[in-house]
Amino acid sequence: MHERLSFHIKRDSFIHNLNPLTKLVLTLTLILIAFTFPWYWTPHLLVLVAIIPLSLLGKVFREFSVTALRLILPAAGFLFLMQAFFQPVGSDVIFKFYFLDVTQESLMFAFRNAMRVFVMVSAFTLFLVTTHPSELMSDLTRRGLPGQFSYVIISTLQILPQIIAKSQTIIAAQRSRGLDTESSFFKRAGSLIPLVGPLVFGSLMEVEERAIAIEARGFTSKQTKTSLHEIPDPSFDQMLRWVLVALIILSIALNLWLS
Amino acid sequence: MNIEIKDLRFTYPTGLEAVSGISLTLEAGEQVAIVGQNGAGKTTLVRHFNGLLQPTSGSVKIGDWDTKKTSVAKLASRVGYVFQNPDEQLFSRDVLTEVTFGPRNLGYSKEKTDGLVERALALTELSDKTETNPYDLSPTWRKMVALASIIAMDTPIVIFDEPTTGQDAVNVARIANVIAELQKEGKTVITITHDIDFCAENFERVVALSKGQVLLDGPAREILGQEEILAQTYVEPPQLTRLGKRLRLKETVRNQEEFLNAIARRA
Ligand SMILES: Nc1ncnc2c1ncn2[C@@H]1O[C@H](COP(=O)(O)OP(=O)(O)O)[C@@H](O)[C@H]1O
Ligand SMILES: [Mg+2]
Repeated sequence: MHERLSFHIKRDSFIHNLNPLTKLVLTLTLILIAFTFPWYWTPHLLVLVAIIPLSLLGKVFREFSVTALRLILPAAGFLFLMQAFFQPVGSDVIFKFYFLDVTQESLMFAFRNAMRVFVMVSAFTLFLVTTHPSELMSDLTRRGLPGQFSYVIISTLQILPQIIAKSQTIIAAQRSRGLDTESSFFKRAGSLIPLVGPLVFGSLMEVEERAIAIEARGFTSKQTKTSLHEIPDPSFDQMLRWVLVALIILSIALNLWLS
Repeated sequence: MNIEIKDLRFTYPTGLEAVSGISLTLEAGEQVAIVGQNGAGKTTLVRHFNGLLQPTSGSVKIGDWDTKKTSVAKLASRVGYVFQNPDEQLFSRDVLTEVTFGPRNLGYSKEKTDGLVERALALTELSDKTETNPYDLSPTWRKMVALASIIAMDTPIVIFDEPTTGQDAVNVARIANVIAELQKEGKTVITITHDIDFCAENFERVVALSKGQVLLDGPAREILGQEEILAQTYVEPPQLTRLGKRLRLKETVRNQEEFLNAIARRA
């Protein structure tokens, strides 16, 4: 199967080779600092000194900027506009738009919040792009996350690509037998109906088969399991994680202290 | 109705070129077997015949229809394609609905549809299983349902993608019987197969593919004798052919009858 909808891009880079937990902690650090560090330009600076360099380091800058431009920026831009217009702070009105006042404070406020959201989403994007979901899950399971929990997450991540693949297969089968799905709108809408039954039915069958398959490999066994695929966790990763946790604590402490 | 393939190339979105320049003409009424190692591009090639795949370059014509300009649904009236994996082809609640799906889409009259369905079910020996859900049948019978659902469309061209893989001897004989019946009706039958004995016994023309290109193409008797070239695409000539070679029989033999005749002549 080709992993069509998982965000992961397979590359060999420093970031890719970090332990998944380290990357998760790194992501959370970036987000928490962006939201808690009590200095106005923090999220802006983070984009420049962390997000962009990290994407270069992970050799995913091109893919990352495409996603950022297409998805994250429009969303952050929309948030910016909403807050700039509707945030009733400040008195220094820059301009009026019908009954809406845009003040300097609301602009600044909106700019920072948009950047915070930008940091949050782009940090997560970087994380997803450089981490294979099953690697993350096997690492977390090894660290004591219940197997049932990882199963739910992994199968949720997989279900969409699988349903898409399955519906394409059925559509191909039906078209090969003369079902016209290309012509008029009504015909196309009508052709969805014969698709629904097999899709739901087939997906249910697969759930059962998968349950049997994983149980056959001792899914609910209480014994400690070994893994074919060992995920390295060198001391560098462990140290890095402590440094990051320290940064988070520092940022939150400063925030509480100054407020 | 001829199939004309000209300089066909096809590259998957992954960047892999699965068909690298194939030109072939398959005449109306011909019985053609396509052989070649796994991944040689056999499935990719035949999926162009009913428009499921579109050439990256080159062209495929079914009679006077260019597959680039014809919808899959329309091509279905000329080309019936039995998928390699019946689980990817079957989607109905019961066998009868499944087999009726194709002919009904093609707009045949009620009487004609009923007649075609009945005949397809009889040929595949499914007449007593019409109300069963295809998924409750064994894989061998599911394969027969897949066959029936295509035969019932009564297309001049029928393609089987590895019909005998994983089938028991009884079912292989059933499938051979279906192919012989279609042949009698003058249909073009194109079969992808790994079963070289099946190929030797049922087909007149053999096309061997290797790495997206035609390695050999000609009468079965000639092709199956070319042990060294066939080895390039990991195909072994049928056992009797190899035995005949070892015994230094003059001609290439393909089946028991030919083998025994050759031995008798020599004795
Ligand atoms: N949907 C697909 N996407 C990408 N590559 C594919 C796909 N289907 C087949 N391939 C690749 O194309 C090549 C030819 O495949 P196929 O035509 O199925 O071979 P065959 O039927 O001769 O075994 C193989 O290398 C296969 O991995
Ligand atoms: Mg194949």
